[in-house]
Amino acid sequence: MSSHSAPVALAVHLALLSCISFGGFPSVLPDLRDFVVAANGWVTDREFTNLFALAQAIPGPNMILLMSFIGWKVGGIPGAIASAIATFGPPCAFYFVAYRLWDRFRDAPWQMIVRRGLAPLTIGLVIAGGTVMARTGNPGWQGAALTIAAAGLMIRTRVNPLWLLAAGGVVGGLGLL
Amino acid sequence: MSHVSALTEEGADQRVTLAAVFTEFLKVSLCSFGGGLVWARRSVVDQRRWMSEHEFADTLSLCQFLPGPNVIGVAVCVGAKLRGAIGALAALSGFVLIPCAIGFVLGALCLQTAKFPVLQNILGGVSAVAAGLLIATGVRLLVPHIGRPIAVLFAALAFAGSVFTGLPLLVVLFGLAPLSIAVAAVQSGKAR
Repeated sequence: MSSHSAPVALAVHLALLSCISFGGFPSVLPDLRDFVVAANGWVTDREFTNLFALAQAIPGPNMILLMSFIGWKVGGIPGAIASAIATFGPPCAFYFVAYRLWDRFRDAPWQMIVRRGLAPLTIGLVIAGGTVMARTGNPGWQGAALTIAAAGLMIRTRVNPLWLLAAGGVVGGLGLL
Repeated sequence: MSHVSALTEEGADQRVTLAAVFTEFLKVSLCSFGGGLVWARRSVVDQRRWMSEHEFADTLSLCQFLPGPNVIGVAVCVGAKLRGAIGALAALSGFVLIPCAIGFVLGALCLQTAKFPVLQNILGGVSAVAAGLLIATGVRLLVPHIGRPIAVLFAALAFAGSVFTGLPLLVVLFGLAPLSIAVAAVQSGKAR
């Protein structure tokens, strides 16, 4: 594969993946890993894991960042930009059109019913997302305790979550987890 | 609170400036270690009051049924609600452009000087807290529904389906959605 076609192939693949990434990009991460590591050998397995950890540690849209790191490895800065746009472009068009349609029928009785039906599922999935993240990230009891303490403080107090995150970083950095 | 509340003022759409939309989502994005939903809810519902708790949950539902990063979907929808297409663009730009550029430079620097064991330890602590914040955000969103036991039940089912069965998210969502909507339809039929 020539040096020009690799970033293009990556961007096309990312655009396709973004169209099927129901539930967010984590759902298509296994496929992405196959594509860039196994099928094309653009990055190593180790690099992929490190890029993922790095994207998680930096604030901002993590998955877009991960894709632009991979794009960078494949095709430099232009590769990074193309990958980022391929990742968020198609879904944003969907979101906008869907919201417009959804909003037009906001007062329709059927939509109120659909909303009442869907909201609890959405909420359950948000809590599940936090739980899964806690279990995979820190399987030990110390990690669980930290997660529960953070949730409790966030619910009960008005403390700025940044302080909680910073405290978590200190606890982790001291090797207490 | 000095912000004009979009919930109470009629025609507040015109009063929210594009700059406000841009900077708010820039803030959300820059704060969002480990996931932006926590910050998006805090900004949109608690601080700016651009949406009620209910409306935020509804918007998130819509985004969950579409592919892509849900938080970005929320940004696009909030922007669209406030100022239409250009508002959506403002929210998206605030959320993506500057944070990605900063993140990218930081990341590239990190990769050059990588000390991954220490970074991963710190990351472990941050991610444990981030998980707690996400759980708390879900709990906050659930509060308005506490009065409807059936809603709490479906939230619990979605939680359990996602955490304990190992099924893909989409299967859980499309499996439970018809049931949950049917129950809501029956309930609203009775209420009339």
